[in-house]
Amino acid sequence: MIAADLAIVGAGPAGLAAAGEAAALGLSVVVVDDNPRAGGQYFRQPPRQFRRDGSASLDREAARAAPLLAALDHPAVTYLPDAVVWDMPAPLALAVAAGQRSQRVEARAVLVAAGAHDRPVPFPGWTRPGVVSAGGAQNLLKGNRMIAGLRIVVAGNGPLLFVVAASLARAGAEVVALVEAAPLNARLWRAWPGLLAAPKLLRQAIDYRWTLLRAGTPIRAAMTVTAVQGEERVSAATIAPIAADGTIDHGRAETIACDTVVTGFGLMPSVELLRLLGCALTYDRVRGGWLPQRGSGFETSVAGVFAAGDGAAIGGVEIAMLEGRLVAHEVAAKLGRSGGDPARSAALRRRLGRFDRFRRAIEAIFAPPRDYLGLLTDDTVVCRCEDVTAGELRARRDDGLTSMIQLKSTTRTGMGRCQGRNCMATLAAMVAADTGSRIADLVYPRTRPPARPVPIGDLLHENIPPPDLPADPHLPRAPAA
Amino acid sequence: MISLPADTDMLVIGAGIAGLCTALYLARAGRAVAVIDRGEPWGDASGANAGTLSLQVKRPEVLHVTRRAIELWQGFKQDFGIDVGFGRPGGLRVATNECELDMLRRSQREQRALGIDTEWLEGEALRAAAPWLGPGIRAATACDWDAFSSPLQAGQAILAGARRDGVAVIGNAEVTAIEAAGTGYRVVTAAGSIACRTAVIAAGAWSGQVAAMLGVRLPVSADVNMLSVTEPAPPLLDRVVTHIGGILSLKQYPNGTCMIGGGWQGRGDLASGRKDVDYVNLLHNLRVATSVVPALASVRLVRSWSGFEGVAADALPLFGALPGRPGVFVNACARGGYSQGPALGLAMAELITTGRAALAMERFDPRRFVP
Amino acid sequence: MTMTRKLRDDRGLDRGVPFIFTVDGVAVTAYPGETIAAALIAQGHAGARRTARRGEPRGYYCGMGICWECVMIVDGLINTRTCRTEARPDMRIETQHGIGDQP
Repeated sequence: MIAADLAIVGAGPAGLAAAGEAAALGLSVVVVDDNPRAGGQYFRQPPRQFRRDGSASLDREAARAAPLLAALDHPAVTYLPDAVVWDMPAPLALAVAAGQRSQRVEARAVLVAAGAHDRPVPFPGWTRPGVVSAGGAQNLLKGNRMIAGLRIVVAGNGPLLFVVAASLARAGAEVVALVEAAPLNARLWRAWPGLLAAPKLLRQAIDYRWTLLRAGTPIRAAMTVTAVQGEERVSAATIAPIAADGTIDHGRAETIACDTVVTGFGLMPSVELLRLLGCALTYDRVRGGWLPQRGSGFETSVAGVFAAGDGAAIGGVEIAMLEGRLVAHEVAAKLGRSGGDPARSAALRRRLGRFDRFRRAIEAIFAPPRDYLGLLTDDTVVCRCEDVTAGELRARRDDGLTSMIQLKSTTRTGMGRCQGRNCMATLAAMVAADTGSRIADLVYPRTRPPARPVPIGDLLHENIPPPDLPADPHLPRAPAA
Repeated sequence: MISLPADTDMLVIGAGIAGLCTALYLARAGRAVAVIDRGEPWGDASGANAGTLSLQVKRPEVLHVTRRAIELWQGFKQDFGIDVGFGRPGGLRVATNECELDMLRRSQREQRALGIDTEWLEGEALRAAAPWLGPGIRAATACDWDAFSSPLQAGQAILAGARRDGVAVIGNAEVTAIEAAGTGYRVVTAAGSIACRTAVIAAGAWSGQVAAMLGVRLPVSADVNMLSVTEPAPPLLDRVVTHIGGILSLKQYPNGTCMIGGGWQGRGDLASGRKDVDYVNLLHNLRVATSVVPALASVRLVRSWSGFEGVAADALPLFGALPGRPGVFVNACARGGYSQGPALGLAMAELITTGRAALAMERFDPRRFVP
Repeated sequence: MTMTRKLRDDRGLDRGVPFIFTVDGVAVTAYPGETIAAALIAQGHAGARRTARRGEPRGYYCGMGICWECVMIVDGLINTRTCRTEARPDMRIETQHGIGDQP
């Protein structure tokens, strides 16, 4: 068992920034991360074995991570890599599964900085090898310096598409098209002033656009991928115009030969641990979907539990690092530690304000269509793990099953290893549309441990009190009414 | 949305296995039946159990009910066209120390006296029969009646089957009051009122509350049973596994997933409706499972959940006419009610339509609690 | 194969000395530190497994270990996420069919 002032779940930008700031403020810190190496998705590092001379743009970005990663070397910081938080038995206790090193972490405050994952959007052929999520393409690039394919269509919605497409192009990929659902030019007209709030990010954005221009990659706006062809792997992608209400004009579809489709329809905060804890959540599609309710100090509705970064609301790396640092100050104050310079907090908040303005402009430009249900055919796989199609779900709906819980338990949607990460969003959209409800009003299946699949053998090591067994198993186990 | 009918001949309160099976057999006997539930049909104990249909783990008093029930489970496909994901690979009930060996021997003798034969396996014979059992298993009794069905699949199938046979099943219709009305009763629910000639309380853990609406006090409490399930794994065990200490229920389904249960208690209560997993008890459950089947250690756990199971004060079924209320019956809180469900449902239909059940059910008469 | 270098972005980078491992008996080139999935993608292998229900091909998708689509049998160990597992010389990788029926 490890005890600390602050336990941080996630060693991405928010978690690392919080760890460094907290250690500097005199707090003891434990950082738990499920990857073998720290950095999260944004600062994913290439193998140590690669010898890099630092000249590549990816390496210049990676250099930004160095001071953040240094936090893990601070004497007050205990770093647990390859470690999965699979349960939180009490609001301030983490159950960590890490092979023989499995143990419990108890803290006086917890920061959940678990990051985000790609919003799954099914369409015919999306499960075919060669269809890779935007995050997946980035991880290949950053983690292995590998591009995902020879002829790549980048499709979906959101600023990450530009980042991925430009990164791929710089790395030598042929990006044959960027297909973006938002009508960019019309939106840009209205939202551009907010972009001026963060000049550095605006320069980056212009840089991405310029890279794609030089690479000859056409930007197909107000369009979406509607299908992927190919038997054993992708051979082509079909794209068509999409309207704001999600209707697709199949009559104006085009087919593009390619061997890889990188799909990115925005990120969703990974809120499983927060759900497990019973944190109050709100649904905000613009910020990624279900988000923890947080006060101005980033504390959730569960006392002592904070959330920051993309794991709390999609905002990007700058916001993540600022929020992480601010949480460290909040926790230090909460624990009665002085030494936090109020001027520093104020400065961090001012910077956060500027990046928030930029973020809102980006959100306005890339606002998604109402839904992507128009992409679903009966044969489209909705639950990848259990191979459940939209047609099967529609048949159950026609049988009168109208709740997410019923549909999950009767079709096995959401019961596979991914624990619903690739399908629950779609199921919610389908149920909302079928019942005329808002996603915000839907009752989701409860989240229970394990928050990630864990080998049962990992759970045998913790010291727990002996079992409270009834003398006679045939008698009631609970006190009688 | 199915709306509540204004009246029905027979009303079953509770759409878990007890209620739905009762309705199924009543419909088969030609009666008009409606089933109501406070939440979604199959929402609690019936969906929150390990799906084990074990004969040999049952107390002597319910062995005859369970044996009949397993026959009925096996016959669902043939009798009703209902596929419940049934398998009957037989089961092993294990013992790991001297004390447990004694209990196992005693239990085997008791069962033999009641006409149920199990095979004692120990040493070489045990290793040969089940090489996948852990080294700490000293002996086991093998029972070829032990079986399983898939709780989620069974629920869906039985519900669909009942509806196909004309049974109206209405969820989200929690009963708030029951009044005598003419020759029958008027049951007031969250979804409206319904009149009936006969009512069956099959409300599991809530049966005490429902009986109280008729002024009858039945001592019912709610266990909070936990279950967990693994990722699909290659074949690890070829039989249902139970434990003489009552602390493990384990099986592997055709899709490879392993279901782990055993009555370990989660956290929660009926009043708040909270049904959470208890961290420490979950670990205990998993440790027992891996000591019995070591290969489970390399398999990943994917889901866990809890459900309420109603239990009467003496942990025997509540079955029979509700004292002092002509036309009202109780079929609830049979510990291990999932296994026994079809037989209890059939017996209740027989009791209502002919005046007596084929199985001997007197021991379970609710009168035993009403002075 | 010409493909082996094309998908690798070697700007400012020296990957070191390549080695061989096998996938369904076929040799695949990898460099020290690369994941199995990356090495397979570099060689044009997009598929990793076939589904239990319909035998459909699946492969690398999320790259962060949460989708479980990239699992293969690695040196006899089923359900191994290739996006998180480093390739090593002489590793034996096999396409996982469904559950991967091995005790």
